[in-house]
Amino acid sequence: MTTNKIEIKNLTVNYIENKKSFNALHDVSFGVGKGEFVSVIGASGCGKSTLLSVLEGLYAPAGGSVQIDGKELHGTGTERGVVFQHYSLFPWMTTKKNIEFGIKQSRHDVKRSERAKIADEFLTKVGLSGFGSKYPSQLSGGMQQRAAIARALAMNTEILLMDEPFSAIDAKNRVILQELLLKLWEGDGSEERKTVVFVTHDIDEAILLSDKIVVLTAHPGTVNEIVNVPFERPRSRSELVKTEEYGRFRNKLLSLLYNDIAERIGGEEVVL
Amino acid sequence: MTIRKRYLRVAHLLFIVLLLTQLLPDRSTNPVYTSYLVTFAVGAEVIVLAASALIKKEESLALLVDVAGFIFILLGAWSLATAKYDYLNPQLFPAPGRVIHQFVEDRDKIFVNVKSSLQTIIKGFFLAVAVAVPLGLFIGWSARLGSAATYITKFFSSIPPIVYIPYGIALLPTLKSVSVFVIFLATFWPVFAGTMSGVLGVDKRIIDSAKVLNVGKLEMLFRVILPASLQQIFLGCNQGLSVSFILLTSAEMINAKDGMGYYVKNYSDFGDYTRTITGLLVIGFVVIGVTFLFNTIQNRLLKWKR
Repeated sequence: MTTNKIEIKNLTVNYIENKKSFNALHDVSFGVGKGEFVSVIGASGCGKSTLLSVLEGLYAPAGGSVQIDGKELHGTGTERGVVFQHYSLFPWMTTKKNIEFGIKQSRHDVKRSERAKIADEFLTKVGLSGFGSKYPSQLSGGMQQRAAIARALAMNTEILLMDEPFSAIDAKNRVILQELLLKLWEGDGSEERKTVVFVTHDIDEAILLSDKIVVLTAHPGTVNEIVNVPFERPRSRSELVKTEEYGRFRNKLLSLLYNDIAERIGGEEVVL
Repeated sequence: MTIRKRYLRVAHLLFIVLLLTQLLPDRSTNPVYTSYLVTFAVGAEVIVLAASALIKKEESLALLVDVAGFIFILLGAWSLATAKYDYLNPQLFPAPGRVIHQFVEDRDKIFVNVKSSLQTIIKGFFLAVAVAVPLGLFIGWSARLGSAATYITKFFSSIPPIVYIPYGIALLPTLKSVSVFVIFLATFWPVFAGTMSGVLGVDKRIIDSAKVLNVGKLEMLFRVILPASLQQIFLGCNQGLSVSFILLTSAEMINAKDGMGYYVKNYSDFGDYTRTITGLLVIGFVVIGVTFLFNTIQNRLLKWKR
């Protein structure tokens, strides 16, 4: 058996809210292979974001373990790049300075003058050349997320953790950003692909991007099913959605999510 | 902007009216120095005209022109009530030309006093900011100390700093050091409180975002928490600065040998109300100037906030 880049074993996480502890994740186990793109989907409140905070090192689990390259995870680390839904960038730094700061934190061998060059290069890659001197507040939400992706990529980490990065973006721009991420991650084959854990509640987003989808059930969050995405790469949304197979696969995922919701409500009529 | 909008303004009419009033005969028996008033008004008008030609934004120009208009009305009314019709007691209400003349006469003395006042403010204020900001960052960042410190700050900042003056006089060798000490206290508490509330209010998502970049402890404080709390820090600084001017002039009026408060107090003791009014106006201009400078720095440092 090949060893996974990230190995999550029997993970249990308790959340404390108003002095009451409740079980956010219970006995979650799955692995993420090197260079694999894994999405975690589930209804809101299923603990998918909590799972990612554990991987980010911001939240300590109550039980079980997370291993990266066979080593137990302790706290935050710059071998993992993170893109949040909001505030990935520091609002008081220009876009370019934000990226340079990220590079400084993760790549100690890169000289100051080189940082600016790399930052420009990645700004161009995400279509933001010429916006380097703008502050985040001067950019639209979609552009801010492009910049956040540029920083995460410029940091050149082996692992990328993305916590609903496109959830707050309008539908049209969300599609554009998904395709940008797909293109950047798939690359042209010359570079090794990054290992990605991507949290979302958008089924189409998960199918388009992922090699593997982990479906979580809520209260407490447990793994309902792990599904391999059968579509060839490189993918394109327009080609993908035309196929019958896509519809079937999408329905399968929907029923995994939907059944879960129906069970929780206790068989009452559900209006979605 | 059209030429009409640029130059056809009521303020210019007011300027001409002001000049015309100066053609009236003087009734005051005291010297009124009409030429000083006229020179001042012409100077103001020249500045307004130059600005009219240069300023690009219509609102900024309108603001400047309106302010100039008010000044012309004020000078005209003041001049009519004193120099031209002698309605007011000439001892207590000198003519505007006389005040301007006094300013020109006393300019060296005024400069020395303004310089002394500003030095005191700068010492007390910057010393307070330099101590309060790092201390507020450290204490605010450690959650437990933070909430205790909030109560202590509330207590100390509720003491009006002016009551420290008598104790300061007993404690410190010179009145200048008393002024610095009192300004220090008046600035320290609001800046310290502002910094702490800024730190406590930093969005958790920003802190998370810094944590995943593995920033070090000092970097977290000075490159993340500090800029994130900057607006609150400036609120404290603003409060400290405005209280500092009140305190400084009060302290200078008590027992100082120089400073603008001394200038005003000294001459009003001798019944020289021309100089008293000159001093009051100079203090107004100095405070406006310092506040303007301060706001410029603040806007520059906070320009990333919209």
